[in-house]
Amino acid sequence: MNKNREPLIRVVKREGMKRREIVMLYFGAIILALGIGAILLLSLDAEPFEYYEKMFTMGTIGNKLAYIQFQTYVQEFVPLLITSLALSLAFKMRFWNIGGEGQFLLGSLAGATVAFMVPTSTNVFLSMFLMILAGAVVGGLIGLSTAALKVKFGTNETLFTLMINYVALYVMRFFGETKADWNIFLRPEERPKFNQIPDNTKMFTIKIGDFSLELSLILAIVLVVVLYFYLNRTKQGYEIAVVGDSINTAKYAGMKVNKVICRTMFISAALIGAAGALRVSSVHALSDSITNSVGWTGIVVAWLAKLNPIGIVIVSALITLLQCGCRFASSSFGNIDSHFADLLQGIILFVILAADFFIRFKIVFRHNSKKSSSEKEVNA
Amino acid sequence: MNVFVNFLFVIVKNNIALLYGTVGEIVTEKSGSLNLGVEGTMAIGAIGGVLIGCKSGSLLVGILASFFFAALCGLFFAFMTVTLQANQNVTGLTITTFGLGMYYFIGNAFKNAGKWPTNNVVDSLNGMKPIEIPLLSKIPVIGKAFFSQNIFVYLGIIIAVVIWWYLKYTKPGLRIRAIGENPASADAVGVNITLYKYVHLMLGSGIMGIGGLLMALTLSGSFEGSKCWIDGFGWISIALVIFANWNTLLAIIGTLVFGLFNTLKVYGSTLADFYPKVFGWLNKIPPQFMQALPFIITAVVLVVSSISKRKTDEPAAIGRNYYREER
Repeated sequence: MNKNREPLIRVVKREGMKRREIVMLYFGAIILALGIGAILLLSLDAEPFEYYEKMFTMGTIGNKLAYIQFQTYVQEFVPLLITSLALSLAFKMRFWNIGGEGQFLLGSLAGATVAFMVPTSTNVFLSMFLMILAGAVVGGLIGLSTAALKVKFGTNETLFTLMINYVALYVMRFFGETKADWNIFLRPEERPKFNQIPDNTKMFTIKIGDFSLELSLILAIVLVVVLYFYLNRTKQGYEIAVVGDSINTAKYAGMKVNKVICRTMFISAALIGAAGALRVSSVHALSDSITNSVGWTGIVVAWLAKLNPIGIVIVSALITLLQCGCRFASSSFGNIDSHFADLLQGIILFVILAADFFIRFKIVFRHNSKKSSSEKEVNA
Repeated sequence: MNVFVNFLFVIVKNNIALLYGTVGEIVTEKSGSLNLGVEGTMAIGAIGGVLIGCKSGSLLVGILASFFFAALCGLFFAFMTVTLQANQNVTGLTITTFGLGMYYFIGNAFKNAGKWPTNNVVDSLNGMKPIEIPLLSKIPVIGKAFFSQNIFVYLGIIIAVVIWWYLKYTKPGLRIRAIGENPASADAVGVNITLYKYVHLMLGSGIMGIGGLLMALTLSGSFEGSKCWIDGFGWISIALVIFANWNTLLAIIGTLVFGLFNTLKVYGSTLADFYPKVFGWLNKIPPQFMQALPFIITAVVLVVSSISKRKTDEPAAIGRNYYREER
């Protein structure tokens, strides 16, 4: 008798939670995370509401120089947005491209190479185009080779791309620290320090009052729209979804799975490489921390947004706000480190990952288990 | 000769933390989980171990504290991925972000409050003194490097050997490997997967944490900018796991190989100056290449072993969560 009894608590799959409920759940999760953050702030005698207010406004209210904050914000938002979008393409196929850092670094290096090579008389649009192209090709080739190794030999892509990240980092440091004459990336007089790229390769901006809108933001928004259509309205986008769901289904449906994986990975990494080139054009010089960790943060963003392009726009905008805001708020709270952003980001993510559990599963207690099992039968 | 002896000594002393990270990650991966949070786990172990260790003035308490706090990270990872079925890569990366954020947050908080233990206190953890093993430490050249080290070196090697024996020859070890290879079968023969995973994920993370404490005690680092004590060793450990083919004995050798390149970066020019004939070529190699070499080698190992279809000891179910009803 006792043996046949169900356990006290059981976890069963749940399907079809309403969108409104999901949004509410996430909202509650973020509030909870901010609450935990507030306790940490209180433990250091910092006023949480004041800190959060400074963080969310980035000190822009009533500030004459607010446009500078917005410019910094856009400069950090765009690379994160593009990288997250690109990563989501690969993740949709369950291809774990965690090499965003490396692809971004090498893309920016390729972009900078073009910037120093093109004649200084070149039009800014043409030189930016060439930089983006170079970044995309370099990034794309890395992605393509990773995908080719995966489909041909089954090389573990997670670990392989992780290694390439570090190789790329040291390649970047090599160019940053080698004083030899051939090194075009460094300042001629002050070595070893990365040189500024020529004026005609710097990001094109549109002046709106004091605020200069970077062309890259417009490009990124166009990319969001294009990707949305690519994923939802084209054959290739459909193939990505099917491969992600089940490789066998895709095979039986006659899709060339290997080709889909290689193509998608090329696009994914090429976009990240292009984002790297754009970043150089935007901040005007290389550095070994040029990625601002977007390769890592992008993974988190893509995952939080459930790989949905529109969701990615929202999440990456919020994460950038968190980072820029914490940096600003910490400057007026002496004892709160600006790495509080990382801490808070971690807490938010944990809470949301936990909330995801309640979207995918539900907990059933013994006394109402009969009801739920009969429900299941009806559904089946 | 002295320079060379010292070179060997530094290789072992400054890189043994890699062994802790690697052995911890091997235990984790053998149970079928890929925890990318090594860096953050080590940072948490480091800061917890230093603070409590210095407070108590005892190295042993410090080691236990670092194990404990890092094991909490492991518990968290287990809770997220085993119980809540969250994605392992994302959870691991978040532990890294969170752990490093916590490191700076706590570190700066203590520093700003003037309560950070000074270096003297750290030194007073007198267990860090080199312990000379009789007879063996008198062996020329390698004696100093291997048998005249601080307690962490011996402890790390002991842990590596014990874990190797545990995974290979004991019943729980066999079971955890079974879970890593094929959780459904292990479940079918009645292994309590949830319990085993929790215990081993915590054990693995705890071992990483001791490595973090070691780095805090031997290497310089601060709480400003991005200069963390751990400085990428957690990521190198993940690479080392592959290099060592998921074997903790090979991990000892791997640590020395990776440590060699790590040390050549800072020590290469000294060696070249002292022995121009033997090591003169070291000056011609960019130090960044030395640093990148472990990662290049690991990438090559990954590719070659997959091309040759050589049987590696990579657990088959690595990185995938196990949900009983989804078979």
